[in-house]
Amino acid sequence: MESIYADIQYQDVPVEKKQRLFDEVKADMRWETQLYGCYECGICVAACPSARFYDFSPRVFAQIMAREDVHAFYELLNDSVWDCSQCFSCTRCPRQNNPGGIITIMREVAVNNGLQSAKDALKAYSRIIYKIMSTGTQVAPDMLQPDFFPDWGPDVQQVSDNLDVWRRMVPPETMHTTELAWDVSEKTRLELYMIWKLTGNLEMIEQIDEGIFMILEEVMEELLEEHGYDIDDLDSVMDD
Amino acid sequence: MESNPILVVGGGPAGLEAARGAGELGYPVLVVEKTPVLGGSPILAPYAALTPDMEDAETAMKRVIDAVEADPLVELRTGTTVTAAEGELPELSVTLAGPDGEEVVKVGAVILCTGFQHFDPGRETQMYGYYEYDDVITLVDIERMLKDERVVRPSTGEPPKRLCFVQCVGSRDRQIGNEWCSKVCCGIACKEAIEIKELLPSCQVFVFYIDMRMYGFWEDQIYWKAQEEHKVQFIRGIVTEITKRGDEVVIKGEDTTMGRPVEVAMDVVVLSVGMEPSDGSREMAEIFGLPLESHGFIETIDGPLNTVSTSKPGFYAAGAAVGPADLEDSISMAGAAVMKAAGFLRKQLVGA
Repeated sequence: MESIYADIQYQDVPVEKKQRLFDEVKADMRWETQLYGCYECGICVAACPSARFYDFSPRVFAQIMAREDVHAFYELLNDSVWDCSQCFSCTRCPRQNNPGGIITIMREVAVNNGLQSAKDALKAYSRIIYKIMSTGTQVAPDMLQPDFFPDWGPDVQQVSDNLDVWRRMVPPETMHTTELAWDVSEKTRLELYMIWKLTGNLEMIEQIDEGIFMILEEVMEELLEEHGYDIDDLDSVMDD
Repeated sequence: MESNPILVVGGGPAGLEAARGAGELGYPVLVVEKTPVLGGSPILAPYAALTPDMEDAETAMKRVIDAVEADPLVELRTGTTVTAAEGELPELSVTLAGPDGEEVVKVGAVILCTGFQHFDPGRETQMYGYYEYDDVITLVDIERMLKDERVVRPSTGEPPKRLCFVQCVGSRDRQIGNEWCSKVCCGIACKEAIEIKELLPSCQVFVFYIDMRMYGFWEDQIYWKAQEEHKVQFIRGIVTEITKRGDEVVIKGEDTTMGRPVEVAMDVVVLSVGMEPSDGSREMAEIFGLPLESHGFIETIDGPLNTVSTSKPGFYAAGAAVGPADLEDSISMAGAAVMKAAGFLRKQLVGA
């Protein structure tokens, strides 16, 4: 059925595609507790940090999803869904809606379906994705390069010149690292890789960034093989 | 010691409840109803199911009607109107015109329960094309369909796929001259929307509103229920105009919270027409010399702590005769009015 909005975008995209993606969101096991009904009161928008800086409104997500307007849903899925910072300040809703939770599910659907908006939005994060998925840590000390943080003043230069010394001053030995936030044991990495593979996270990455996916798969495969696991036959691990 | 009867004008919910109350208090009461049937708007409109509990209106009203009919202190005159009044309470002479001609009776106190009438969407302008387009109907029209459990698009006889309510038609509108909220239309629209969805689950139902006025338990009992369980779509923004595009009725408006223009074909548009002072209220006010308040309803003089006393001692009014009222209001006011009428009569009998 057509949208009620006269200015609806993406009119060239078949309604069947929009409906399929919409149904995928609503089929998520978390869906039942994300949205009841929307008063359009704006309490979520007033609480939302992203709404202060972007043309973004958590209210619109609750509204449009309650409207079951697949056309307006598709607009959100292709744009605004990426402006949320997932802080969940919006959960102070008097109807107990969770706009941030709606967005979580919508993002997963966008990623799983390899939507261009997902690829574009996550492009800037490919290094972080690689870092987290390969090491389990995100920000490493050596990322603090003076050129990137001029506003931090001369201290950054000083720290980065002698990074390993500064790091060795941190009491826990596991933090005497410069390329990683902390030391990650081989066992931890092995477990992480199994989780990425078995939960379908690796497949999600394949949908949005094939380059990163290939590098990751290689890294993972190597460690898994060392420990006698076949990356393409990990299901047997679950049986053990 | 027996008083003249309390005259109750109007045999709707408020009038019947006033009569029942008078009987229970031991005072004779005379109910005058101009139509041939008792029950008032719930029966005459008809409203098939009551808001908010959705009890069948005939069943609910029958309980009250049975009670007054069984009470020997209650005298019921249907098809009868009050045409003149002379003298003073508690010895007021009232002329009644009924099926058997005219008759003058003495009454001790008067309770006006003359109700309301629905706003006519064609009253001043051809608002929303009510008289032009078959598929533009009112709350009352759809209620008739709901009574038959058959909701259809009038122009085709087919079940509608997309239907909308337009709230505040004839209410809250300075242009029309009705500046009040009619109180019940939000609840009735929600109730009807639920009933429509129960009959036609795949029909999309929209409610275009200015504010949803769902006070008290109506909030979760019918508004949340419509929205959450039946996926009725509430859109803040009032339809500006309704036009015809081929066989389709197209509504135009704004979704104000989204800030987006709405323009879409509807199979059926239901106008949520509000309440206006009834002709009966105006006529009775004239006959009994009671002033109307600024909106044209019968004036009560004592503010929120006394909702039923008019400017003349011994004259009371209850229900939608004094302003928009839901059933709960009407029944409660009827109880308050009959208590005051009984108090007035008792004072006359025993001396103050």
